[in-house]
Amino acid sequence: MSIADKYNAIRIAAVEKIDKMKEKPHVLVGTATCGRAAGALTILDVFREEADKHQLDIIIDEVGCMGHCYAEPLVVIAKPGFPTLCYGPVDEGIAKRLVVDFLVNDDPCYDFAIAALEPNDEFPTFEDFPRGVIEKKIILADCGFIDPNDIDHYLARDGYAALAKVLEMEPYAVIEEVKSAKLRGRGGAGFPTGVKWERCFKAEGSPKYVICNADEGDPGAFMDRAILESNPHQLIEGMIIAAYAIQASTGYIYVRAEYPLAVARLRNAISQAREKGLLGDNILGSDFSFDVIIFQGSGAFVCGEETALIESIEGKPGVPNHRPPYPATCGLYGKPTVINNVKTLSYVPHILRKGADWFRSIGTENSPGTAVFALAGKVVGTGLVEVPMGTTIRELVYDVGSGIKDDKMFKAVQIGGPSGGCLPESSLDLPIDFDSLQEAGAMMGSGGLVVLDEDDCMVEIARFFLDFTQKESCGKCTFCRLGTKQMLDILTDITQGKGSLEDLNILQDLAEDVKMGSLCSLGKTAPNPVLTTLKYFRDEYEAHINEGRCPALMCKDLITYIIIPEKCSKLCDVCIGSCPTEAIYTRPDMLKAIYLDKCVKCNNCMVACPPQYKAVIKVSPPIVEEKEETVEGGKEDE
Amino acid sequence: MELLPGELEQIKAETAEILQQHGTERQELIPIIQEIQERLGYLPKPAMEQVARALDIPEVDVYSVATFYNQFRLNPPGKHQIKVCMGTACHMMGGHIVMDSFERRLEIKEGETTPDREFSLERVACVGCCALAPVVLVDEKVEAKVSPIRVDGILLTFEIEKSEQEKVEEKEQQEGGVEE
Amino acid sequence: MSKVNITIDGQQYQVPAGEKLLWAALDCGVYIPHLCANKDKERPDASCRLCFVEIEGFSNPVTSCTQEVFEGMVVRTRTPQVDRLVQTAFELLLSNHKLRCGKCPQNRQCELQKIARERKLKLKLTRLRPLLTEEKPVDDSTDVFIYDPNRCVLCGQCIWVDHKIVEVGAIGFINRGFKRKMGTFGDVPLAESRCTQCGECVKVCPVGALVFKEKTE
Repeated sequence: MSIADKYNAIRIAAVEKIDKMKEKPHVLVGTATCGRAAGALTILDVFREEADKHQLDIIIDEVGCMGHCYAEPLVVIAKPGFPTLCYGPVDEGIAKRLVVDFLVNDDPCYDFAIAALEPNDEFPTFEDFPRGVIEKKIILADCGFIDPNDIDHYLARDGYAALAKVLEMEPYAVIEEVKSAKLRGRGGAGFPTGVKWERCFKAEGSPKYVICNADEGDPGAFMDRAILESNPHQLIEGMIIAAYAIQASTGYIYVRAEYPLAVARLRNAISQAREKGLLGDNILGSDFSFDVIIFQGSGAFVCGEETALIESIEGKPGVPNHRPPYPATCGLYGKPTVINNVKTLSYVPHILRKGADWFRSIGTENSPGTAVFALAGKVVGTGLVEVPMGTTIRELVYDVGSGIKDDKMFKAVQIGGPSGGCLPESSLDLPIDFDSLQEAGAMMGSGGLVVLDEDDCMVEIARFFLDFTQKESCGKCTFCRLGTKQMLDILTDITQGKGSLEDLNILQDLAEDVKMGSLCSLGKTAPNPVLTTLKYFRDEYEAHINEGRCPALMCKDLITYIIIPEKCSKLCDVCIGSCPTEAIYTRPDMLKAIYLDKCVKCNNCMVACPPQYKAVIKVSPPIVEEKEETVEGGKEDE
Repeated sequence: MELLPGELEQIKAETAEILQQHGTERQELIPIIQEIQERLGYLPKPAMEQVARALDIPEVDVYSVATFYNQFRLNPPGKHQIKVCMGTACHMMGGHIVMDSFERRLEIKEGETTPDREFSLERVACVGCCALAPVVLVDEKVEAKVSPIRVDGILLTFEIEKSEQEKVEEKEQQEGGVEE
Repeated sequence: MSKVNITIDGQQYQVPAGEKLLWAALDCGVYIPHLCANKDKERPDASCRLCFVEIEGFSNPVTSCTQEVFEGMVVRTRTPQVDRLVQTAFELLLSNHKLRCGKCPQNRQCELQKIARERKLKLKLTRLRPLLTEEKPVDDSTDVFIYDPNRCVLCGQCIWVDHKIVEVGAIGFINRGFKRKMGTFGDVPLAESRCTQCGECVKVCPVGALVFKEKTE
């Protein structure tokens, strides 16, 4: 039997199985980590119990992440005769109603639906919303709609077709195709994937290795995890293709141990792929053999750096090495090694199936394809989004993300996490691609995109990211170990109102030197958040230094919480109960006030104060009126 | 840290069992100590010595790895593990305030365990539930949109649980006493 | 052995092909600051970040310990950019180093002093803040030498000798980041570790972190 015949046999079996399933009503519950956090497992149980109770003949499946985090837990219901609908956020009550009203009876409960999955006459689809118009899903397309625990779902959607095709090509032709697609590494730096493969292909030494870098450690990005949990086979197929191209026999997936669900779903996917003859010896009857080992990373951000990752797999501390030599020529155990990010490898099957021309037709000339972002922060539509390269930040924030929460003022976007930078309003029309972001001082990085509003202090943001990289520095090289510490100390002083203008110059100089002098990309990019905020938001730094004032009212040491008597109500005392340190007292006139010396600035009272009063406010610079406070306190005591 | 009687034997037996399932190459080190920590909750010194002998590497090399990665613990954790997410989104939505609240209530700093070994407090990088920020993992269960008030609630639940359990134990003891 | 022609600071030299620039320059009598470099290591550490030079055709300064010489290579060891990087790296090391050289047993034999002399750098902090706010205890448990972590620059020379030359395996890098240090298994004093007190590590310490006891008296 030829490779194509073998593949067709397993694909047709899968299609038949899935078609048969589609004859019955089908409930999909998104149970990736994000969904679980929002209570998806409870919802899953409710559907199962209710279905039992009503003796329904339906299929209930767990799926991955659909990317609409703002509406978790998400449920998709496909009932023959109705448009397939997506519901969210679904609570227990809604789940019960969906079973009774929709599955038992025939009312699709449009009130709870967000969108339909395919065009119909009844309900708008995701494509009918601004987000859907801009979004172009390639690697997220199947996430949340296929069962990651059942390989047949992937196979039925032409999964592994690219592999079957590739196995009949010359390995070098595969590399040519990826080169021609101009696929660039999605791990952050955007190095051309095909060139990397070519170097490894031509390098002497054997065996060769393929490593998938799934050590996602950016504190605001989770798309790799979502892809692993939602569509593991897409990645595995990409890895096998990469391995065939460079003729590697072993692959590693380096995945964070903090992602237990991703690890479990990957393990399951790997064993199913082996059963179908898609992994292991003589894949699909060819003479190519390849297998994948899962290596669990132990939580060190620096291991995202490829030379550190290799050290880690070899059983050592994850300390980076000087490059060159690059892993492509001298990698794992000194052998030629290709290391690609989860997203990069996930594009590979699509490119091989649909061709390099198709891929280049999406996105921009030098950054073809799409970009995946974890949209978070002060934006309405938080979630995982996939847009063509070249989409502007404005479109991403306002159309895809539906704008800023609570009608606040946009201040900046932080793109690329700890290695990226903060871009101000004037950059809103910047097209997102590898090169223009780099020019603006940010970086595609891992794809975290945090929207910041008027309440976010840019000095504090810079301090936060530097605190992260400083804690995650491996400590090997002087600049990163000590330079980031020096910078952090300066930033901490500024956020506490103890900085000087001279400090700003030292900070700028140090940032430039750490960027230039560090050994690895962690150190080389760590100053980016500082450099961009210094460039675009210097006035905020100066307000902290010159006036002891935090304009965004965020830096704890520079604010005071007060209760405005004119707004406070005599009849209300919720703030008193909310205070963990008994810092709020009732004045003789029954209005409430705060002992400044007892207040720990926990923000509880501000949240607790009913919206009709909004009497608690923050002021900056902080109030240091010892006198008034003791007098009032004294009165109260009497 | 002093080991309780019987603990050393248990550590040795568990470690030997894990070592049996692995090869003796250097690259087995991290998977081995991950498994040891999964079973014992931390990496006891005798276990690290045993691993070093099995892999024929200096003990200090095991220690280098154990002290490099965030995952590894050299002391037993508290009964309840509280992990506050310090990802970007959580930080922006007040994760640091939540951390402050836990520190204040438990009277320990991040990375420490309460003297009664009831709670340990840790920071974690992004849990990946940014839409639910700020997020806290309490014994692996995700608590979404945590406020300082919720912090009190979480700890109160454990306190109630504990005192109820103590009451039951006390009662059992008393009843036992009556029988005698 | 084949040779290549290179130019360092305007002077022409013939150096062995395949050699790393740092060693070639030092052999030619050109001083380039360095602490972590070790000719016998298969892969340079490149961690001290002091041996920067500029090479014609390269956009940024490079570490000379990692750069192989090539025919026609034109090197400049002193440029504004190189001097700035070396100065910052040096000051950063000093910011976490117990100064007071007069009291250090390694006074006048210290590599840091040599770098300061060669590059006209001050041996005190003017720009950066002292990071060594509380001094760590000195380990004087062995009969032969003392270990003062407050003077350590984390060059790794001692650990390499311990592991690769005398093959004892008593010391290693422990912890990560700012807390990274040279230490023993379980952080015990050296006398309680596997250390054989052979003193080989002391001989390679470029600063006053590992010092023979006879010198301290």
